[in-house]
Amino acid sequence: MFTIFTNVGQIIQTGRAFQLVFLLIIGALGYVSYYLGKKGKTWEIRPLEGLEATYEGIGRAAEMGRPIMVLPGISDLGNPQTLAGLTVLGEVAQQSAEIGVTAITSASNPGVITAEEAIIRSSYTAAGKPELYSPGKYVRWFGGDQFAYAVGAAGQILGEKPAVIVYMGYFLFDVIVDGETGNRIGAVQIGGTLGSMDMVALFCDNILIGEELYAASASITRDKIAVATIAGQDWIKLITLGIMILGVIFSLAGSKVIWEILGR
Amino acid sequence: MSSTIAYIRAYLSRFLVIVGLLATLISWYFVSPEATAIANELTYWNMDIYTFTLFVGLLTIFARYLNGVRTRAKYWPYQLYAMILIIVWIIMGLSVGLYSDLYQTAYLSTKITLHIAILGQLVFFMVSAGYRVLRIKNFRTALFAICMVSVVVLNAPWLLSVFPAADKISYWLLNNPAMAGGRALLLAGGIGGVILGIRLLLGLEKGALRATE
Repeated sequence: MFTIFTNVGQIIQTGRAFQLVFLLIIGALGYVSYYLGKKGKTWEIRPLEGLEATYEGIGRAAEMGRPIMVLPGISDLGNPQTLAGLTVLGEVAQQSAEIGVTAITSASNPGVITAEEAIIRSSYTAAGKPELYSPGKYVRWFGGDQFAYAVGAAGQILGEKPAVIVYMGYFLFDVIVDGETGNRIGAVQIGGTLGSMDMVALFCDNILIGEELYAASASITRDKIAVATIAGQDWIKLITLGIMILGVIFSLAGSKVIWEILGR
Repeated sequence: MSSTIAYIRAYLSRFLVIVGLLATLISWYFVSPEATAIANELTYWNMDIYTFTLFVGLLTIFARYLNGVRTRAKYWPYQLYAMILIIVWIIMGLSVGLYSDLYQTAYLSTKITLHIAILGQLVFFMVSAGYRVLRIKNFRTALFAICMVSVVVLNAPWLLSVFPAADKISYWLLNNPAMAGGRALLLAGGIGGVILGIRLLLGLEKGALRATE
């Protein structure tokens, strides 16, 4: 049975049959969860510590009369982490605008800057305060290099003294510079990323670990249908876990069945 | 007419994304010269659009900085300096070429110098943060602190001569628990990224698309 995947090598690229099947399963389960969400099924997700801290942070910024800073990272709009960070920025900016807190941000990619300006503008418009928005007031650009951005963002942190700094996106070593600077001004720091989790964990008071970043970007919108897709994500993780457990069992038994199925 | 335009705005971009997605996926998973040719062509288009967004971003920055300099905004000297430098570098790059000795020397001698200056302080920041986070209050934080010190020592050859065991401990830590955790994050993050892509295609992910509201 398992030779089906090798016999179709002329149609399917060698070693990628399982990937294709798994991707189709992910797409199907994701759509099924979306469909069930549309039909009215609701899922409750456990409270995300970083997200709860973000909500509290907006209140903290209001009490202290200081701005809240959201950084979507140093990558471009093609990175899912950046998109998740921009979703968080939009919601934080709107909630902040509604209660009179200033939300500031910065980025190193010009495309992200343009998106951030549009997001901030639409957030103020949605909050009923379009007159408060002006270009360049809330969004700053610090160059395309990660260290130039790190130093620029650190300067912005020292100048603006935000009460809360939210790191949601793709970061490298720049989070070390900005995290230490944020700690020195006494800001509450919340982080969510995939790659530099170790460094974000060192500097942030609350973190979103791995895929919690994507869950947070769905959950922060309070859209039940978006939250429903997280259920699909969990189903896929269960399948992945099952395959791993089977792989361990078969490997211990001296069989390479799972190995061959995976296309190795 | 306006409803037609709004409809086109909402669905044209999704249609183009789906076409690009299918072409890329088909060329990746199937042996199809036609799909590969389409995917390659779309990749070139993507590069052109990306370059265009860089250009748009540059124009946006210049528009904002010019306004800031004109109105003497808070950081206007730095904005003026940045604009002058951007123009100088663009002229230099266009006239002598990106890979000329002059351009490369000027670029690397500024960039590398600044990078080294910042890299040099990163380890102090990390140690400072590590001390704050891993103050040895209980067994767990003590274990984390020992692991952190061991990995730091691994990257300092002169310290290895004093603590040679750090070599084996650090490599075991990096190749076993750290790698397992890192792979778990990658797996979960990859699945989350695909689901986020599905949310984007379904129009559920507001994010950067919020600008169309």
